[in-house]
Amino acid sequence: MIGLSRIFSAIAIALRAVLRNKLRAALTVLGITIGIAAVVTMTALGDGARSKINGQITNLGSNALIVFPQSARASGARTTGGSKLSESDCQALERESTSIKAAVPFLRASAQVVYEGQNAKVEVIGSRIAYLQVRNWNLQSGEPWTTSAENVSEKIAVIGAGTAKELFGKADPVGRWIRIGRHPYRVLGVLEEKGPSPFGRSQDDVVIMPITTMRSHVRFTRPGETDAIMMSATSPETTDRAKKQAEEILRQRHHIREGEEDDFLIRSQAEFQQMQDNIYGVLSLLLVGIAAVSLVVGGIGVMNIMLVSVTERTREIGIRMAIGAREMDILVQFLVESLVLATLGGVVGTTIGYAAIVGLGAALDLPMKLAPQALAVALGTSTAIGLVFGFFPARRAARMDPVQALGRE
Amino acid sequence: MKDAPPIIEFVEIHKDYVTEAVVVRALRGVNLTIRRGEFVAIIGQSGSGKSTMMNIIGCLDRPTRGKYILDGIDVGSRSNDARAIVRNHLIGFVFQGFNLLPRTTALENVELPLVYRGVAAAERRKRALASLSAVGLGARLHHTPNQLSGGQQQRVAIARALVTQPPLLLADEPTGNLDTRTSYEVLDLLQRLNREQGITIVLVTHERDIADCAGRVIEMRDGSVRRDIVNERPTDAGRALAELPVQDEHGAAS
Repeated sequence: MIGLSRIFSAIAIALRAVLRNKLRAALTVLGITIGIAAVVTMTALGDGARSKINGQITNLGSNALIVFPQSARASGARTTGGSKLSESDCQALERESTSIKAAVPFLRASAQVVYEGQNAKVEVIGSRIAYLQVRNWNLQSGEPWTTSAENVSEKIAVIGAGTAKELFGKADPVGRWIRIGRHPYRVLGVLEEKGPSPFGRSQDDVVIMPITTMRSHVRFTRPGETDAIMMSATSPETTDRAKKQAEEILRQRHHIREGEEDDFLIRSQAEFQQMQDNIYGVLSLLLVGIAAVSLVVGGIGVMNIMLVSVTERTREIGIRMAIGAREMDILVQFLVESLVLATLGGVVGTTIGYAAIVGLGAALDLPMKLAPQALAVALGTSTAIGLVFGFFPARRAARMDPVQALGRE
Repeated sequence: MKDAPPIIEFVEIHKDYVTEAVVVRALRGVNLTIRRGEFVAIIGQSGSGKSTMMNIIGCLDRPTRGKYILDGIDVGSRSNDARAIVRNHLIGFVFQGFNLLPRTTALENVELPLVYRGVAAAERRKRALASLSAVGLGARLHHTPNQLSGGQQQRVAIARALVTQPPLLLADEPTGNLDTRTSYEVLDLLQRLNREQGITIVLVTHERDIADCAGRVIEMRDGSVRRDIVNERPTDAGRALAELPVQDEHGAAS
């Protein structure tokens, strides 16, 4: 085997050979540099986006469940306008399930809201006051409405932080009157700022009012009707049980017979999170694929230039063999050279990736950081590329016939 | 010298090159013994087989048939790596084209054989310096080959060949790229190495007056030894040098 000092000599020789041809070396490793920079940046980007979204999902309450209506299938075709969820479903769910803490109705509409000449486009949500607990939303100022206000359809509202800023600027909205359509509503409280939802919609541009008020003045539906039911389980651990119980209760209430399909759909926050993760999984896979392609291309670039280098330095190889270099010495020399090239590409790529992370993190306001695993994978990959794609040229060099290499034929 | 042990023994050495159904018989049963301390010139025209002979003596190539014993070792049948070690330990090469590594300083070029022997850096440097000063190159150690004159480059090459202290020095047309004066300087150096250190020298040339500097001249023709004669009165390169008209070595700046 080859001693340590010979390995060091080989590295020194390789470094010198690389530095001798800086431009060529730079062009050679461009593929690897780009590939590694892409891997590093994309990994950090994906992780950053995911951790931000996860934070938002936890905001929603990890024990939240949503029931949507779903038209039942009858003999293969979906019947139109079949199912409806109702407020009495909510009451039944709260009453009959041991794992559901709260179940509230949910009506929504888009509307223009006005305050003294200021306009804002908002999502109006009609529900019960428990909605805030289900969504895990808190008031930053003011107070919630009371159950009695719900019963008499009082014209009151709780507004989101975005709406408050747009309509009132820095002034305190509590106690003031906003207008939707022809009707004025008194602002009772302002919600804390939440940022956009995982699905991109702003959660701060909202006006929340009692569902009874909404039904009489903003969106006219049949009494008791609701778009969806928002529920919260007693704890994150009981969401699965809450879901099962809700299913049973609703099937019974909707008179769905054994073997028939549900006319509703229950999604837990965990399932939404799962879907998000799946989407990001596919995305990551795609990015890894792109990175892999660019790294293979980069590797072939290294192999190509190493073959050129071996051919160019045929005489040098002959000289080295004549004065006593063994096959292993030549192999190691060229292998180390391609390793140095590829690793250099990896280091430069990582640096560029790091710069991109810092820049993008600031620009997109994402919590991006260079993960140590990503760093290890990036450098490991570039080293592996150097080894794999450098081996063939190095072996070609090592197997040269000294007589031919010296040009002595 | 007749009693010295043999360093090179050729027994019925054949070398055939097969090229597209044509077999070129470069060596046709050469028998030869060269003893330690000899200064031998191998002479012949191109195609005579002298280069092939040189390749085989230098363990760069294998004979097709026959037995080659170098310093008591049957090297004809050894593996590539074994022959690399033999080259490193027993043989110093000096080529017509100098064959120094480009963009590499004189000192580093001379150190190279020791690198492949695994000698530590400090020791390498010491021995390379000694070897360079032995060939009369104490300065210009950190110059690359293209900054050196032909004569200086060949001295670096000789220093590189000698740094491992091999018993055998193979010189293939060592003066082929040099002018007369520099040629005699190199020959003078080789003669002194042979005389003072007892290094066996095998020199391949096609020039008669270069061969005349050797104590034995082997003439090759058509792959066989045509004549093998002892040169009783070899040319003293040092004296020949003194008799040359005075002139400046072109392009040299030592």
